[in-house]
Amino acid sequence: MPRTAMHASWLLRLRASLACYALLGVPIVLLGLFVYLPVCWAFSKSLFEYEVGGVSAFIGMANYIEFFTADPTTYVALANMLVFTLAAVLIRLTVPLIVAKLILSIPSERWRHVYRVVFLLPVVVSSVAMLLIWQGLVFSHQGLVNELLQYLGLGALRRAWLADPATAMGAVIFIGFPWIGGFEVLIYYAGLSAIPQSVNEAAQLEGCVGLRKFLLIDIPLVLSQLKLMLVLTIIAGIQGFQNLLIVTRGGPGYATFVPGLQMYYNAFSYQRFGYACAIGVVLFGLIFGLTILNMLYFKSSEDIQATA
Amino acid sequence: MNIWRILRQTALGATLVAGAWLLWPARGDDATANRDAAAARAATFTLRVMPGQFYAPGIAPGGVGEVNRAFADVVAAYEQLHPEIKIVLEPSLGNLREYLVTQLSAGTAPDIVMCNVEDVWGDVHKGWYVPLDAYLEEPNPYCAAGQPGAQHWWDQFAYQAISRAKTGPDGKMYCITYDMVETAIFYNKDIFRKVGVTPPTTWDEFEALMCTLRAAGYTPLQMVSVLYCDWALDLFLDQLYAAILPGIDLLKDPVREPYLDGYLDYDEICFLFRKGYFTRRDPRFRELWRQLRRFRSFANKDIATEDILRAFIAQKAAMLWSTSMLAYQLDADPNMDFAWGVFYLPRFTTNTSRYASDVDMCVIGGSGVQYEITNSSYTDTGDPATSRRLRWVIDFLRFLTAPANYTAIVNEHPIQVPNIVGVPVLPLMQPFAEILKRRYTTTKWCYTFDLQFLDVLGRTLPLYLDDHLTLDELLDWQEKNLASACARFERRKQLDFTAMEQRWQALAPQRAPMHDLPAPEGR
Repeated sequence: MPRTAMHASWLLRLRASLACYALLGVPIVLLGLFVYLPVCWAFSKSLFEYEVGGVSAFIGMANYIEFFTADPTTYVALANMLVFTLAAVLIRLTVPLIVAKLILSIPSERWRHVYRVVFLLPVVVSSVAMLLIWQGLVFSHQGLVNELLQYLGLGALRRAWLADPATAMGAVIFIGFPWIGGFEVLIYYAGLSAIPQSVNEAAQLEGCVGLRKFLLIDIPLVLSQLKLMLVLTIIAGIQGFQNLLIVTRGGPGYATFVPGLQMYYNAFSYQRFGYACAIGVVLFGLIFGLTILNMLYFKSSEDIQATA
Repeated sequence: MNIWRILRQTALGATLVAGAWLLWPARGDDATANRDAAAARAATFTLRVMPGQFYAPGIAPGGVGEVNRAFADVVAAYEQLHPEIKIVLEPSLGNLREYLVTQLSAGTAPDIVMCNVEDVWGDVHKGWYVPLDAYLEEPNPYCAAGQPGAQHWWDQFAYQAISRAKTGPDGKMYCITYDMVETAIFYNKDIFRKVGVTPPTTWDEFEALMCTLRAAGYTPLQMVSVLYCDWALDLFLDQLYAAILPGIDLLKDPVREPYLDGYLDYDEICFLFRKGYFTRRDPRFRELWRQLRRFRSFANKDIATEDILRAFIAQKAAMLWSTSMLAYQLDADPNMDFAWGVFYLPRFTTNTSRYASDVDMCVIGGSGVQYEITNSSYTDTGDPATSRRLRWVIDFLRFLTAPANYTAIVNEHPIQVPNIVGVPVLPLMQPFAEILKRRYTTTKWCYTFDLQFLDVLGRTLPLYLDDHLTLDELLDWQEKNLASACARFERRKQLDFTAMEQRWQALAPQRAPMHDLPAPEGR
């Protein structure tokens, strides 16, 4: 094709797609402005001693050095983060999957639908409201747990569950029990529903049923969903601090302190935005690295089928 | 033309129109909003004021009794007096700190905000707040000739020592102390009568009293953990250090000294820390935490989350440490079925601690509502010196302190003690006003530095009080915290210790007979 004709064709295609580009342009600009630009800004500010409204001085890697060598809260926070993330991974990769499998096992489509709705319904409750309910009604001084212990004659075990260093972390992990109201159930349900009927029939013919089928056939075939949940849970575990800010503010002492809170307090309470940016960059690196590892070494069901 | 193309272009056009419509500023159609908008347009300046939760119109203080009206009435009177000024009242917010940081950095904060001035000090070097010293020396035009305030606005304030003690780390005043708050031990008179005890006169009696109450099956005292970091710590520190102040109080301020005799400022504490004070080598510092731990043993089991009022109202606890606001709440509660009274904490004796200074407990309350002026107030010129808008903001604050207006606002409910000369103290507030006549504290320890210092203290002290940290572990945290705070302040304020070192040498003879001072490092 002659060069001018090619050029004209490209222009025609561009003109035909102009509306799409225009529609896409707005969100891309907004995304760049409000997501990517602040990220780049944070990278740059992590090299400064910087507080909003104050002077900004370039200090090189000093913020990173302080984070890893001088800040007494860093390793406590990282250790707490590890525990919270592992607990979240364990919970979100097992309980909702079991519930999804149980729902799928219900013979009646109508009742399956009812259960799906019932398990999804808690999603509409504001997470802040839910956390305040747990904090104020379940774990408080006059809360459900303490009153139940009192009723059972175990009043000596009453305690400030979220304010006692021995129990605070466990209590925080326990929040949301039995951890089944959420999108996870639906995602796993969708994955399990997508297993071809022929596979289920073949398994039945071979006598692979019940727990054996769940472990050997269902789980490998929902690995894509598990992989997605794993990535999302790790990201949320490393980034997340909002729940802890509401429920314990990282206390008692530093018993539930995590790097996200460390970042928040340094930014908005201690006014050390440069240091907070450095913590943010470290967390970004951690998430990025773990996500790459996950992509490389955690096989999805498609990968398994491709290699089979 | 292709139908899909037409649809696409129509969709694009519709999206753009819808987007523009959404982004267009909304126009209120409400009659009140229109009237307000018209008034604001007619006004030369619209001032935004955050009165705070105690005086905000429409709020019932403490959740009991009638709602506030007086502040709105005073605002209306001001607008009538100055039609060119429109006042808009802003609500109080929960997370004020975060709100102010974002609003101030954008220059959109209210002109007058109400927050503890200690929260402001960390930001004063950024020019976010207006120093009020010069304005406080000027006359208040709303004070009649010959009355306090007619020559210097400062003279209007009744509690001079406390009001003037609110100077920032740079020595400037960033707030007016609008009213005073004081704390006291609230006690159940019926329980005291039943158990056969009376309010104590010494700390030893106080401890004996609490032992008796506990033996009788009552929780002696209801406290929350934050009170140990703030009120109790300051009182105990004063009790232990007051006797050695003549040897360690280094700075004399010709302006503030009459009011702040013996007060240890942040720079003095930085210097003394270098000399071993407030470290584990300082016996008084060790004793401070031990006494706090001992005091904690008389209080409710759960100092972190318990609603401390509940057990007191239910008559399971005999005493409660709280502020004057509680007096109003108890008084206004129609269901109260016991008699209550208040007393102040008694002095340590040498039997309590060998380091006791044997002086009466100092004031621990102090400034209640504090108003600060933000950088929004001079947006008309960008310069406080030339800003007409700022003059109006100051003028409104002065109007708020005019005795008649002040009485209407502060005495609308008996919740705070007036801080303006000549304004009557309501009977319910009288015991608190009496307490406020005591001398001022040695230092406000937890507010001496910044929020980082306060945060670490607030996290670690409760752990020690509940036996999750040993004294040595706590001292390790406190030393590191103080070292870190001193380093930040020395860097930020570029502190020069030369004058203090000279004064330190000059005070050596005063210190010579004093016992148990911290040994120099290495000895």
